[in-house]
Amino acid sequence: MVRWIRFLPVIALVATARAELTLPDFRYFRTLSIDLQGRPPTRDELDAFEQSNFDLGAWIDTHTTGPAYAERLERIYMDLLRLDVGPTFQFVPNSLVLRRQQVMGPDGMPLYVYFRRGQRRVDPATDGDFCLSFDDTGMDFPPNAAGVGTPRPVPQKSLDDKTVVVKAWWLFADYRSPSPVDRIGPDWKRRFPGFEPAPGLLEDGSVRVCKEEAQTAESGTVYVSGRPPFKKGDPLPGHRETPPPNDSGFARANRGRAVSCLTGTGFQNSVDCGCGVGLERCLPGAGPQFDPPGFFTPTHVPLGDALPFDANPKNVSEWPKLWWSQEARRFLDKIFEEDRDFRELLTSHATEVNGPLAQFYRFMTGATCCGSGADAGYTEPEPLVDPGSLPQALVPEDTATWLPVADRGPHASGILTMPIFLTKYGSRRARAHVAYNAFLCKDFVADTARLAPSTEPDLTKRPGCSTCHQTLEPMAAYFTRIAESDWTWLPAHVFPMEQARCKGDKAPGFCKQVYDPAFNKLRSAYAAPSHAEAGPAGFAQDIIGAPEFAPCVVQNVAQSFLGRPLEPEDEPWKVELTKLFVDGGYRMRPLVRAIVTSPRYKKGNDAR
Amino acid sequence: MRASALVLLAACGAGTVKPSAPAPLPAEHQVVLDTTPKERRRMLPPEVYLRAYLGWFGGLAPLDVQNRARPKGLFDAWEDYLSALGLPDYKIDLPRQTQSNTLMLATLGRLGEVLCVRAAEHDLHVKTPLDQRVVFAFDPKAGSLDEFSVGFDVLHRTFLGYPVRLAPADRAQKFYALFDEVRARHKAKNPLSPDETAWAAVCAALVQHPEAELY
Repeated sequence: MVRWIRFLPVIALVATARAELTLPDFRYFRTLSIDLQGRPPTRDELDAFEQSNFDLGAWIDTHTTGPAYAERLERIYMDLLRLDVGPTFQFVPNSLVLRRQQVMGPDGMPLYVYFRRGQRRVDPATDGDFCLSFDDTGMDFPPNAAGVGTPRPVPQKSLDDKTVVVKAWWLFADYRSPSPVDRIGPDWKRRFPGFEPAPGLLEDGSVRVCKEEAQTAESGTVYVSGRPPFKKGDPLPGHRETPPPNDSGFARANRGRAVSCLTGTGFQNSVDCGCGVGLERCLPGAGPQFDPPGFFTPTHVPLGDALPFDANPKNVSEWPKLWWSQEARRFLDKIFEEDRDFRELLTSHATEVNGPLAQFYRFMTGATCCGSGADAGYTEPEPLVDPGSLPQALVPEDTATWLPVADRGPHASGILTMPIFLTKYGSRRARAHVAYNAFLCKDFVADTARLAPSTEPDLTKRPGCSTCHQTLEPMAAYFTRIAESDWTWLPAHVFPMEQARCKGDKAPGFCKQVYDPAFNKLRSAYAAPSHAEAGPAGFAQDIIGAPEFAPCVVQNVAQSFLGRPLEPEDEPWKVELTKLFVDGGYRMRPLVRAIVTSPRYKKGNDAR
Repeated sequence: MRASALVLLAACGAGTVKPSAPAPLPAEHQVVLDTTPKERRRMLPPEVYLRAYLGWFGGLAPLDVQNRARPKGLFDAWEDYLSALGLPDYKIDLPRQTQSNTLMLATLGRLGEVLCVRAAEHDLHVKTPLDQRVVFAFDPKAGSLDEFSVGFDVLHRTFLGYPVRLAPADRAQKFYALFDEVRARHKAKNPLSPDETAWAAVCAALVQHPEAELY
């Protein structure tokens, strides 16, 4: 017995190498590694693979989890949904963007002063415009352009009366404390990777801003100037380039009424509303342009925000757009990494946010509300994400910390109500179409009917249109209550399906925007009013309940792993996989395991 | 005169052409169409290539790779290469490239050369201990095909994922010929030695090998 034990290590050594491994075995392992680890195998991993005790099944089990596996699946749906918005969509509401003008300071040196275009002020010379006038600076300030003229030193008194120095959020992480000290420095690169204001925003470390913009109140009162409306040719006060804003119908009807400073309505109608503590409700721009340079933003994020590539100073609107996209990627990753029910992609109320996203949801989503909807009494938007559900600990520059939000609010429904989806697919029809295509694997093909001029407003009936729109219009109706190219919710108690005062020629201004005069109904709702009330959550239920949903998921995933379209010959296999997917509670892990262990996958890429 | 007489003769003298008797068409040649799915190897997704590339560079972050690769103009900036690798651009709805093109191959070639030259400098030229080398984790002595094959196998596993003994029989021989030729043509130190330059060339050839870029 003792002698037998002495020889054990030698026997074990001899048994460690698997001499019978063939080229297809190695290729299969490399393919698995590429698909499940996101990279080819290392030499050490190949050595382990060659050992006789290597358990490939266990290896697959341990690698159908983790970030690389999640990223592999995420890629399938990001390729289908393309959730990133380009430069054609500029998110630059005047209430959010702090532009700046260069003037000559009292000491004769250049001085930057930040302001919001459209900021309401009592002085008609500067109302809705830059707070320092020609008399103060010797310059005119055309819209979205640098000042012109011969600058002269701004009198100290004017500067003190009209501007204030603020410790801004992009320079101090503890901007909310009475004496901020955590100033931007080299350690921020480690703490807040990817957060880098454009060079101009760091020039002197202090931010001089117009006094009205520095206000911190949550709400203000509706301001009425009482000025008669300016007519063309009237002399403009204070040498200004454009007339000051007229009192809106809303303002005249609601003088002195409280209005939220977090909404566009508050910004447009109150002189009490500013950018909040540390200017946290606004995004800084290093210039007077429409979309001025704001932050360093990468052009490509192929490996996620944790592995950043080159970044350049980009327009300020690129900053929130970057994080909208990253939110969707994180959301997808979480579903795959935790092997959650795939249907949550369309139904979940949860999400994850980092500092920039928390700032956006807390302070910025109301900026696009409510336009002419204020005339219908809509001044406090129903939020897409309940601000109370957001983690309080995140500061706006904290790009690295992602915290869960368990319930975004009653209107939330997976990616369908995320800002990136709602802006990427601006129209209600586009939103419905992309979901129809990505989750049901179906598309619209026009029939061969000859198109003839038609006055039929109902596209489900109009010849040549009806083939597609009979299906599309009822689906688009699910998005009736979310404004187009926006996320503003249009609640039923303010905007009923039909509005009596919107009938006839003397309808208020908001009617044409919200209601379709051809049907006397909310826009996009005519084909299925009940869908409008069900909202995106109802659409999600329709999609996941459709018989095509599970086969479509299987098709998308299998095609991606095989690298070819599924053919009619693959149909029995697809049916088998679909059953496995549905019986497994719509979870990806068993489906992926079945695909990567199938002969189709093993032999699929072995052809020479 | 003679010509017109000939034309007259031809026009009047010829009889009508009688139709031939109907006959069945010759049997058509039938070809069986094979509709079964045809497999072909896929291009390595650019995300996978990038992760692999960072790993081959010693597990550095993308911007650290850029900083290390840049000296002497070997590497420009990631921004210049990422689009050419075939990444999708969701912002402008540009889909993922599923087929290669000349620009992509040139970019892969450039990136491969950068990797191999920098790795030769790091691993071989400064004589980094074996356990700290990132690519050339072997004794670079290559006086004969047998000696060369030992190191070549390490590179073969690194970039193609399998031992060279399973490759086509003449693969080691062909790469040794390349090694020999490069070594002979780079007698001067530049600053790599002839052997180091030759190993960098072998590495660059492997990292651009079709088998490395497909799966």
